[in-house]
Amino acid sequence: MTSIILACGNALRGDDGIGLYLAHQLYGLICDAETEIVCSHQWLPEQAEDLSRARAAVFIDASVAVPAGEIRVQPVPNECAKMAGVTTHALTPNRLMSLARELFGNAPERAFLVTIGASSFEHGSEFSEPVRKAIPAALRQIQDLLFEESVRVG
Amino acid sequence: MGNTITIDPITRIEGHAKITLHLDDKGDVAAAQFHTTQFRGFEKLCEGRPFYEMPYLMERICGICPVSHLLASAKACDALLAMKVPPAAGKLRRILELAQLIQSHALSFFYLSSPDLILGMDADPKERNIFGVVQKQPELARWGIRLRQFGQQIIETLAGKRIHPAWVVPGGVNEPLSVEKRDKLLAQIPEAINIAQQTLKGFKWQLENFRAEIRTFANFPSLFMGLVTVDERAGYYQGKIRFTDSLGNIVADNLEPADYQQFIGEAVEPYTFMKFPYYKPMGYPDGMYRVGPLARLNLVDNCGTPLAQQEWIEFRDLERSAVLSSFHYHYARLIEILFALEHIQEYLEDPIITKKQAKYSASLNNLEGVGCCEAPRGTLIHHYRVDEQGLITFANLIIATGHNNLAMNRGILQAARHFVRSEKLTEGMLNRVEAVIRAFDPCLSCSTHADGHMALHVQLLSPDRKLIDEIYR
Repeated sequence: MTSIILACGNALRGDDGIGLYLAHQLYGLICDAETEIVCSHQWLPEQAEDLSRARAAVFIDASVAVPAGEIRVQPVPNECAKMAGVTTHALTPNRLMSLARELFGNAPERAFLVTIGASSFEHGSEFSEPVRKAIPAALRQIQDLLFEESVRVG
Repeated sequence: MGNTITIDPITRIEGHAKITLHLDDKGDVAAAQFHTTQFRGFEKLCEGRPFYEMPYLMERICGICPVSHLLASAKACDALLAMKVPPAAGKLRRILELAQLIQSHALSFFYLSSPDLILGMDADPKERNIFGVVQKQPELARWGIRLRQFGQQIIETLAGKRIHPAWVVPGGVNEPLSVEKRDKLLAQIPEAINIAQQTLKGFKWQLENFRAEIRTFANFPSLFMGLVTVDERAGYYQGKIRFTDSLGNIVADNLEPADYQQFIGEAVEPYTFMKFPYYKPMGYPDGMYRVGPLARLNLVDNCGTPLAQQEWIEFRDLERSAVLSSFHYHYARLIEILFALEHIQEYLEDPIITKKQAKYSASLNNLEGVGCCEAPRGTLIHHYRVDEQGLITFANLIIATGHNNLAMNRGILQAARHFVRSEKLTEGMLNRVEAVIRAFDPCLSCSTHADGHMALHVQLLSPDRKLIDEIYR
């Protein structure tokens, strides 16, 4: 496996489901058999093994820390995360990367967290206007990231 | 008037709860209460909805054991349709049930309880989690992740997704299993069995280190209840209900799950949202019984698969009669993982499993239906009544964790009396009280979901409610 996309969220809580929506769209857009797409409510320890088999990773999530509709791409630091006090209900990308490295001996060389600013978390599967407008650009940016990685690793 | 110690919330369980310990004037623990502080309203909110929506609505109760709710609900709907499911569908449903048991038991043992067992009950709570186990015994952590992953993978392969699948329908399942998918699952079973056996071996080595916990973690006589098949095995998907006592004698047998109201009563207490089921002939609270892995292994005369059978014989040798300590829920859970893996292998090797006929159709034939199966934590009952249009007019659910409510309350009292000294609270004391509850693996998420990191705040108050001591974590 060259790349892995790990999307999380709740598809029944408005903008929280944007990560899952983008991942499902990417199923149709990516024709690369070397890219695996994993959707879940949260990032959990059992995904560490999947992660350990990839050279590059893209995490996708909604965030209230980013203005609604804004797309933010951040590299996930390839360093050990502090594990003290964490629960198994939800892990950060950094902690999941650390777990992959510690338990399975490998983590992706490069990983990115793509967050989409979200504003509405009401019950339902509708996205707010800013998030809906951000979908084409978010898909483009994620595809660009994956393309760059595939070129880089040859 | 005495003091009160409150443990709120309890950590490393599924859902939200707290414990109150009431002290007498000497400072000894006089009473204990386990409070479920969340409310499950599913019985009311489904009224007026069509019965065929129930499996997909009811499974949303929980993110850990949705498959059990899906199956119990689908079975209740089968009863409304007055139909049996095709043979292949029956076996596929059974595999799904066992896969759920593997992933849920792996979560309970490796993620939630192994920190206590590997790092110690007195370890720093900041380190006392699965990541602490990763540091100390990475192999065990890898095994836990692998077993949980495999259980989830079976669910995903059969039902399309790991959580809240819609594959089980009234009358069968939506899609048969392909030969390719079956072979892929079969190929992974030997590795999973090896992990289960290695974990059991390691666990049995550790037992000597937990003598005090074995002696005091809800270790008392009680009834045990569960489904038993005609060949005397635990009936995970179906069977008749059996009650046994602490000496291993059968108290009641061959009870129809659909008649549960004749032998199970449900009491309520003002301090908790969880009901208190009890065995009616003995009254409340004397009719206390336990369900789940410990009960299932106490109820049967054989385990039914070769490797699990050997482990079951050794397990039953712990006591001359029934195994009474709830600490041994952990042990029973590991044996059940092994049993489930072997049993899934048997089902997958049966040629019938890939037959194309996976669903029958029927219209509404009964106005009342009960579905029952063994969820990972014990017997789960869904009971529906509908009107002539098939709209739900009544629903009652008895969740596995609820059956254990009386025993959990009595168990924390027993452990608290042994470990808690009121002059000064320590982490180790309180963690042992929590660990009694953890041994039962209650799934309070059947009401709501956990919300991020759960903190613990314990206060020790004087009779005039002045703060004597407190601990945060």
